[in-house]
Amino acid sequence: MPEVLIPIGPQHPALKEPVNFKIFAEGERIVRLELDIAYNHRGIEKAAESRDFIKVVPLLERICGICSHSHTTTFVKGIEEAMGLQIPDRAQYIRTIVAELERMHSHLLWLGVAAHEIGFNTLFMWTWRDREVVQDLLEEISGNRVNYGINEVGGVRRDIRPETAEAALRQMDFLDSRVVEYEQMVREEPTTLARFRGVGRLTKEQALAFGAVGPTARASGVDYDIRKDDPYLAYADIPFEVVTVPDGDVFGRTLVRIGELRESIRILRHAFGHLPSGPLRINAPRGAPRAEILSRYEAPRGELAHFIRTNNTDRVERLDVRTPTLANWTSVAMTLPGHHLADIPVVVAAIDPCLSCTSRITIVDRERRDVRTMTWDELRAHGVRFYRAKEGI
Amino acid sequence: MTQRGLDLERVTQAMGEFGLVEQVRQNRIRVASTRERVRDAIVRAKDRLGCDHVIQIACVDTGKVLELHYHLTGAHRTVVTIRAELPRDDSRIASVHDLLPPAGIYERQMHDLMGIRFEGHPDLRRIILNEDWPESEYPLRKDWKMDPTKFYGGVRKEAT
Repeated sequence: MPEVLIPIGPQHPALKEPVNFKIFAEGERIVRLELDIAYNHRGIEKAAESRDFIKVVPLLERICGICSHSHTTTFVKGIEEAMGLQIPDRAQYIRTIVAELERMHSHLLWLGVAAHEIGFNTLFMWTWRDREVVQDLLEEISGNRVNYGINEVGGVRRDIRPETAEAALRQMDFLDSRVVEYEQMVREEPTTLARFRGVGRLTKEQALAFGAVGPTARASGVDYDIRKDDPYLAYADIPFEVVTVPDGDVFGRTLVRIGELRESIRILRHAFGHLPSGPLRINAPRGAPRAEILSRYEAPRGELAHFIRTNNTDRVERLDVRTPTLANWTSVAMTLPGHHLADIPVVVAAIDPCLSCTSRITIVDRERRDVRTMTWDELRAHGVRFYRAKEGI
Repeated sequence: MTQRGLDLERVTQAMGEFGLVEQVRQNRIRVASTRERVRDAIVRAKDRLGCDHVIQIACVDTGKVLELHYHLTGAHRTVVTIRAELPRDDSRIASVHDLLPPAGIYERQMHDLMGIRFEGHPDLRRIILNEDWPESEYPLRKDWKMDPTKFYGGVRKEAT
């Protein structure tokens, strides 16, 4: 059978960064894959060098539409460390609250996308409906559904009123009951069991060797979590557990994310209930002394690292951003070979790529010079049909 | 989380011969190595200190030299940073893609944006910049300026 090259991507308006996957397949089996992430390089690292810290924060907020708070928090806490500032407790708690709400909306979104990729649209509709509860809370706190604009160097820009905290605590009970239901659904539904179990398997040794981060690593039993390993914001005094499972497949990644939803609710209950009083921000100096800071953050998708070099001015000399998707890519490239073409959507979606922007697929048969193009939707439908015929689901 | 933290003493014992070892802050230890010895230093950090996870390879153009910071960690969760400097006009260094697999993709990225040649890397193709970007232009270098006579990709003006 001839080896077939299947390019996926690069354009998809719904997700954040366009990417192109070139997948080499033999029939239905994947042989290897290559990645091209060139399509949405916007030069933000370069642009950050020519703006002062105040202007860099909104710029970094726009690196990613889903983990916008992650990028600004990583940056401002790095700059604050360089300046030697002690941030008021209330600001740290508010940052933590927004960070955990962001994790919840990101994981609920992921759960819906993963369900959609396997044709389980009921779960998709339910998680996205419940995600609106989280979005409404974010809107109430920050005024925005995305790009919350909460952070600034020295503290936060908006307060949380006591009524908001009380209303949020009530919503946590609702979300808690939903998460219980999702867990039961994922564990018992034949569709999720057949399409998630054993797919995209990554052993603990592989996860360590290929440098997987976040839920991808934790689903393989690696308990890396920056919130515990290198505590920042208010995580040092809020009780929570790092969720790990030994499964190592897409099923495990789903369970880890559901477990993290539960832990996020626990963190949010504590944070809303114990909001310290005090100021929201302190006045930060305009410039930062010469320093080299590695600022680490547990974003919804895994460890996010900003390397910041300041140089006695009000600008960064260098800002080097390493996003979790780039770290997880190696593990996907290593685990996909051997799988079915029909599993691509769910395995790629399982790392929750911040760049899973895949709208068209061209299938090139090298021998016959035959080119046909498939949209992502068609590939997804192919996956659903393939398993329906094979497993009867 | 059984093993906890590396201390300065242990890192100095293992890494002292590669350069000055200092504790930058809690949980961060930096080793100032040289470009010839970085690969050996990473092998040593992996064997003796269990630093098997690369967080990031940060690259800074200071205007005089290119600095590379290999941020490593492991089960001990302490970040050990191995640092090296490269001259800007001769920016070659040994690749570590075989020691730390994720480094392969980070090295491609730095090759593309900073113009560092990682010797021994099997596949230093473009990854970030577009395929019609001119050769030998490295946009993250401090002195890089767009040359108005060159074509940087996309749709040509005449075509619109």
